[in-house]
Amino acid sequence: MPSPIRILTAVPICDGHDSAINTINLEFIRHGIEVIYLGYHRSVADIVRAAIQEDVRAIGISSYNGGHIEFFAAVVDLLRKKGADDIKVFGGGGGTITQADAAIMKRKGVGKVFFAGTSLEEMVKFVHQRYGKPRTKRPRPKTRDQELAQKLTEIEDRKKIRNSKFEIRNSRKARVIGFTGPGGAGKTTLIDELVLRFLNQDPKGRIAILSHDPSVVGEGALLGDRATMINSQDDRVFMRSMATRGQAGGLSPATHDCLALLARSNFDYVIIETVGTGQEAMPFQKNGIVDLTVLVMNPDYGSRLQLQKIVMLDLADIVVVNKSDLQRARTAHTEIEQRLEQNRRSQQLIDTVAKRHRDPGVDRLFALISAY
Amino acid sequence: MSKLGHVVDAVENYNRFVLDQVKRARTDEKFGRELLGRWNDIKAKIPVTRTPTGLPLPRLALPEIVEPGEIARYLFGEGLPGEFPYLNAAYREMYLEPVREIESFEKNAGKVDKKLPQAEEPTRLFSGLMLAEDTNERFHYLTRHQRTHRLSTAFDGPTLYGIDSDADGVFGKIGEGGVAIDTVEDMVRLYDGFDLGSPNFSASMTISGPAPIIMAMYIAAAKRRFGPKVVPKLRGTIQADIFKEVQAQNETIFPIEPSLRFLTDMVEFTTREMPRWYPISISGYHIGEAGSTPVQQAAYTLSNGFAYVEMFAGRGIPVDQFGPRLSFFLDCGLDAEYIALARVSRHIWAIGMRDVFGAGPKAQLYKLHTQTSGRSLIAAEFKNNLTRTAAELVLAYMNATNSCHSNSADEPFTTPSEEWIRLAAHGQAILLEESGIFKHTMNMLSGSPGMKAVERAVEAAILDEFREIERLGGVLAAVEERYQRSQIQNAAHRYEQQIYDGIRPIVGLNRYRDGAEEIPEVKLVRTPRRKQQLQVDRLAKFKKKNAENAKRVLDKLAEVADRGENVFPALLEAAEVCSLGQITGRLQEVVGRFRPMV
Repeated sequence: MPSPIRILTAVPICDGHDSAINTINLEFIRHGIEVIYLGYHRSVADIVRAAIQEDVRAIGISSYNGGHIEFFAAVVDLLRKKGADDIKVFGGGGGTITQADAAIMKRKGVGKVFFAGTSLEEMVKFVHQRYGKPRTKRPRPKTRDQELAQKLTEIEDRKKIRNSKFEIRNSRKARVIGFTGPGGAGKTTLIDELVLRFLNQDPKGRIAILSHDPSVVGEGALLGDRATMINSQDDRVFMRSMATRGQAGGLSPATHDCLALLARSNFDYVIIETVGTGQEAMPFQKNGIVDLTVLVMNPDYGSRLQLQKIVMLDLADIVVVNKSDLQRARTAHTEIEQRLEQNRRSQQLIDTVAKRHRDPGVDRLFALISAY
Repeated sequence: MSKLGHVVDAVENYNRFVLDQVKRARTDEKFGRELLGRWNDIKAKIPVTRTPTGLPLPRLALPEIVEPGEIARYLFGEGLPGEFPYLNAAYREMYLEPVREIESFEKNAGKVDKKLPQAEEPTRLFSGLMLAEDTNERFHYLTRHQRTHRLSTAFDGPTLYGIDSDADGVFGKIGEGGVAIDTVEDMVRLYDGFDLGSPNFSASMTISGPAPIIMAMYIAAAKRRFGPKVVPKLRGTIQADIFKEVQAQNETIFPIEPSLRFLTDMVEFTTREMPRWYPISISGYHIGEAGSTPVQQAAYTLSNGFAYVEMFAGRGIPVDQFGPRLSFFLDCGLDAEYIALARVSRHIWAIGMRDVFGAGPKAQLYKLHTQTSGRSLIAAEFKNNLTRTAAELVLAYMNATNSCHSNSADEPFTTPSEEWIRLAAHGQAILLEESGIFKHTMNMLSGSPGMKAVERAVEAAILDEFREIERLGGVLAAVEERYQRSQIQNAAHRYEQQIYDGIRPIVGLNRYRDGAEEIPEVKLVRTPRRKQQLQVDRLAKFKKKNAENAKRVLDKLAEVADRGENVFPALLEAAEVCSLGQITGRLQEVVGRFRPMV
């Protein structure tokens, strides 16, 4: 079976109309497509950077706020400039894009414009037909990002997994930090806030993020972590979203191989974010693939007894209680503290409110990670 | 329990109180007689008007009831127009023709109250296109036959997101879908030729994320033209609704908490210094347009409203001072709920404000602007949109909306062109002035059994929504959990599915569709490149001219924001010499940027 089609979807800058794209995203993933959703109010540079890093087959843009001729054309132009014109562009805008506009957009290199009244089935069919066949001859990569992205695609798509755990341990240059924890604990927000601090602290530093989201039945996946990130939309951040493609435990079959590549590719840090995990998960294993494990907890984990069952509490180097502005956070802190004491190793416990700008808890976490 | 839980209790208590009054009117003879007497008095005082065909009609129609219990149910449960709990209308008379010649040949003309207020025309048309001078020209065109000048301003994308026209990658968006405003100089051009301090002028500005900054620019522009004394005279509305942005429209620029803080800063200022200004328009329109059900729209709008009241009161602003300056904005589509959606909203608001927040009569009014549904309009066979809008207008006026915008039929493709705008405005005039539906008699279409049934069902469903939000910890907590967002997204998905499945009939789309796809030939309004370039050039000139001063006031603004003080006075200073993008950017350095919710 061929690998799923990966496409990126986004809404242009100064446009918050995400109702149509949300519906379309869901339809795509139900039909086996992996959608990296970049969100709304996104600039041309952000869209093109993400598309290249994610090495998608195509970019789908949903535009309802006008200026579409210029915007779509700018995306096509920038892709071309970056040597990435094998990434195609399509989109729509209900009734706001007229037939005449669409004709101009097509001349400027937009593959397809959908008009109001197009059924979701038609769009799915279009993506399968137009972008379903494997790309045979790839252009020679023009940029560092592009080279890396194409290699990651090769790794992800090859049948045989090399499982390069050993390789990661021995040849890496970057420090590898694993973030795990239950869904909704705020891992993505926390990572994005740490990225901001890193970029500010080290004006030349580069960081890679390997982010995971689960594949759904039917093999598609909504890879949506980028949509809520603000600071990680930066040329010094290389982010790749991976679907679990049927593997349990929080990572993808190709994670280790992809990580091995990233870890020797001139980044100061490589961050892996797992999918939201359950109690028994140990995605990074003991003496595994990361230098440092951060477990991000939600204060609402249930009863104290539940804590005994969370395996990662034994393995994590740093435990973060995020959303510590919630009423239950204090209790959570005390209970987790007691739970960690049983382990008799030096684990750190930090309270954060990642959603808050300049949160002192996140500052402490950053200092701790930097010092490691 | 948050205040919203108390509102649920208050509405239920009030409904029980009404039933008690009904019972009492039937069992307590003295009370029953009093009510009957009052009822007869009310009826006797109703002036009579004469239609152009000579038919005499009362200016207020009341149900034909004589039984004290039913009279109690009506007076306490619905209230006369302009009386608590305001189910029928916020004011005693709306849309009625002034009492004039028609009455002069009435024998009992002496009984007629000659001092009825000359009401403002309820028509308020939303517009904004290209650069400030182009929108200004459109404003003059729209108001040339109107006694009162009620302008409603749409801003372009960059302005709505608080960024400048020279920002990276926004060039094509300048002046698209609304007017481009970067500086106080644009604001001066925008309303040129209008007397901003006149009691016959009001400006409405549809913008939320950067609302406090735009408000400061408006004040700065007014001061430039009319001097500082104009400030207390300024009339108008700024949308400034942060909750609905986060729930539905996605035009938020700061994180939620600082956004709410800057909003409260502005409300504190306008309540004190600009008593005729409406500093927030609590908006369900965008919630509806994003795909919510009508009940979700009404429930989130009301609960957002109550959350703002709690917040402003928490800042120490007296509820009777800011309460009368709150206004609401709803969508009106074609679903059955719209027969009574605004009526029920008015009812719940009045009870909540009176019984939970202790507000006086003026702060109990749910003052409403309605816009017909943009989402109900489609591109295929677009002239049908005239009929859709007309039906929605009838529903909106049946709900006694205080003002109304009718959409242009060409809206699915473009910023409306003058031809279709004129037809949209005329639709309202035909309904209110030509037709006899609304101009002779209050309550002309109120209180049918069907309407009562819709009211009961809608109110119960709204209270259920309140209970769920309350269970999640109140409006802010529910917003942060994305509760309203997910509900709206689900509803939107279901709506689309229903259209595709044909369960929801849309003429020209899934019913009565012509074989050939109609390619509408409409005149498109697009901003020419040279105008976009002009805007960028003007901005560059402004920034160069003010560079030194801008740095000084921005530093001050940042300090004030960092200390957590009211930023509005510093914004007023900044608006004189800084661009919108400069101010937004500086504030974002202090409080952060909004993290999108998906």
